[in-house]
Amino acid sequence: MSTSEARGVVESWRALRTPLLVTGLIVLAAIVVLIATSSQTSGTFSPDSTKVDGARALSALLKNHNVDVHGTESLDDATQPGDGKTLLVGPSGYLDSADWQRIAQAEWSHVVLIRPSGEALRALAPGVQLSGDSVSSGSRQPGCSLPAAVKAGTATVSGPTYSAPEAATSCYGDGIHNTVVRLQLGDRIIDVVGTARSFTNDQLAEDGNAALALNLIGTHKDLTWYLPQFQSRGVNPGQDGPPLIPPYVRYIGWALAFAVLVVAIWRGRRLGPVVAERLPVIVHAAETTEGRARLYRRSRARDRAAAALRDSALGQLHKAHGIPRRADPSAVVATVAARTDRDPAMLYELLYGLPPLTDAALMSLSHELDVLTQEVRHP
Amino acid sequence: MALVMPSWAGIGVVVGVVLVVCLVDILLAGSPRRLQFSREGDNAVRLGEQAVVNMLVTNPGRRVRGLLRDAWPPSAGVLDPPHQLDLPSGERRRVTTHLVPTRRGDRQASRVTVRAIGPLGFAGRQGSHQVPWTVRALPPFKSRKHLPSRLARLRELDGRTALLVRGQGTEFDSLRDYVPGDDVRSIDWRATARRGNVVLRTWRPERDRQVAIVIDSGRLSAGRVGDAPRLDHAMDAALLLAALATRAGDRVSLLACDSAVRADVRRPAPQDVLPSFVNALANVEAELVQTDFRIVVSQVLERLGQRSLVVLLTGLDPAAIEESLLPVIGPLLRRHVVLLASVADPRLTELESTRGDLVEVYGAASAARTRLDRERLTATLTRAGVTVLDEPPDKIAPALADTYLSLKKAGRL
Repeated sequence: MSTSEARGVVESWRALRTPLLVTGLIVLAAIVVLIATSSQTSGTFSPDSTKVDGARALSALLKNHNVDVHGTESLDDATQPGDGKTLLVGPSGYLDSADWQRIAQAEWSHVVLIRPSGEALRALAPGVQLSGDSVSSGSRQPGCSLPAAVKAGTATVSGPTYSAPEAATSCYGDGIHNTVVRLQLGDRIIDVVGTARSFTNDQLAEDGNAALALNLIGTHKDLTWYLPQFQSRGVNPGQDGPPLIPPYVRYIGWALAFAVLVVAIWRGRRLGPVVAERLPVIVHAAETTEGRARLYRRSRARDRAAAALRDSALGQLHKAHGIPRRADPSAVVATVAARTDRDPAMLYELLYGLPPLTDAALMSLSHELDVLTQEVRHP
Repeated sequence: MALVMPSWAGIGVVVGVVLVVCLVDILLAGSPRRLQFSREGDNAVRLGEQAVVNMLVTNPGRRVRGLLRDAWPPSAGVLDPPHQLDLPSGERRRVTTHLVPTRRGDRQASRVTVRAIGPLGFAGRQGSHQVPWTVRALPPFKSRKHLPSRLARLRELDGRTALLVRGQGTEFDSLRDYVPGDDVRSIDWRATARRGNVVLRTWRPERDRQVAIVIDSGRLSAGRVGDAPRLDHAMDAALLLAALATRAGDRVSLLACDSAVRADVRRPAPQDVLPSFVNALANVEAELVQTDFRIVVSQVLERLGQRSLVVLLTGLDPAAIEESLLPVIGPLLRRHVVLLASVADPRLTELESTRGDLVEVYGAASAARTRLDRERLTATLTRAGVTVLDEPPDKIAPALADTYLSLKKAGRL
């Protein structure tokens, strides 16, 4: 007779427990990784990047001087009210004039622009312009009265240069082409720094670069380190024009996800569980012999191997020639030599000689014993 | 509108329709749980042959359409894919499962699972039942083919054919006239004098002797020789010997033993010998433990009164035999004739004769050492009074039968 195997709630839970736990762990791990990496910035002049073009060294230096460094790639962080704080804008990325205007309206007490573009300068540092010339890498004297530069002394400069209006303080240049420009607009300070490389992990330790960077940037306790991204334009809700991906694609995605789920349930349910079985262990009878052969080989036990081969051959000779088991070697050699027309001395060496010293000698011993016993079997 | 442009509503409608269809289909499908099952068919099959197990499925509820899987362990060797089932309400169907077991022993049916698909064909229900059934895969007895020729030799021995040879321990049977070629030592001179022509005494081997077959199911029998463990070759040989000895009028008993007794058949009726032996041996597997020969000796001594033949099917492993068998075999040897049969491994011969490269030479040396050890052990056992048989798997069964016949012929039983 048959009994139904209905699964109760407890059993279902027991069967589902492990898959659910594993899924949960994977999701949890993904979330943790996402959180851990989301606060990280990357790329050129990133405060978290330890690469040559990163600025981890500078951010660490600033933290050691009690500056609270907050790295971000979000425009929203750069447009928050910034009274009494410093904003550092990294050299990469692309923002349009509207975005720069929003940053300018945020009223940061101090803005440091690293290698800014023309649009940034127009919005944030009126009067400062790209001079068009670049300087090659080299050490320069400050050549100005800016205390931050004077204290730092020489610095490595390279990259684009800027021309400054009269009211600004221009350093590390020839008066027209300058690498560091400080502009005082009311109670706001705008620093334009053309040479980004000097402050990267690569060159921070050279000349007075570190001192210059600390003096320029570390004016306030709160530093927002903003790295503009190329994508900020597309996400901006103020923009016109159709998006590159039609918005209803996501519905197709959800419909596909549902279809995959249905197919997974449809194909995933087995017709009853897999039947397990206790299988016998498979041991080959010759395994110990083969294992001993490997041991012989690994320890190069030529003496033991040769002794076994000789004993085996002797056994066959004893049987074939009717020699008594306990006959002494000379009698055996004499009998075999007489029957096979071999030199008794060589036969003695073959059957009772010293163990072979090389693998080649073992090979030839084995071969000769083989030939001898073959001869005995087929005289 | 919702269906023209993609939207959340559209997705919702599609998902909803699919879910509703599936739900309706599940509700309309017949219930697999309410099905009733019963089995009938083969309970035992020789290894390598096909067993047929029928299952009757009764449906008291709504019509059930779908798939039925009769699940068995892999080595039960189920040949059929899942069955298509279409079972109207109140009817009964027979579902047949064909099995060709790949290993010896009991194979128990696992559960029967039925997936009933709804009338729309979209979704269904699934349920399982336990329908217990056991198919026992018996030892194959491949050496049966050797039986007829050995029975012919037995008849010769038995005096049913013309030639008779005198041996020790044989029984006086009858007197008959001398035929040229007869052994002159068998002439009964007193009867010759009385009758006037030459009269011969005839003898026949003694009957109703006991043969105890002991199969070692310990680690010595676990090693594979060819495609089966030593144990299986030993069983084959034991079955041939049992069949032959039974026909010769001897009583055969069986013991399979490692650290405990695994199979024990005592004095079955002649017609029951083979069935009871294969049944008892079906579930014996080689255990990876050292056989306790003290159990073997005490068991054999306990069941054998008169002088008998004890056949020990084990492996010729010098260390194991010298340490565990030789110290305890004394009492057995004093009272009985002991025959030790072992399956030799052709692989060793092959290893010893191939000497192509260095690796093979080391292999040959190791194989030679193994053979020498076995020969030394054989010599030790022979000195102790044990008859030793060491033959490759295809020869062990006929060799054991021949040794039995020659022992019988020599009157040593």
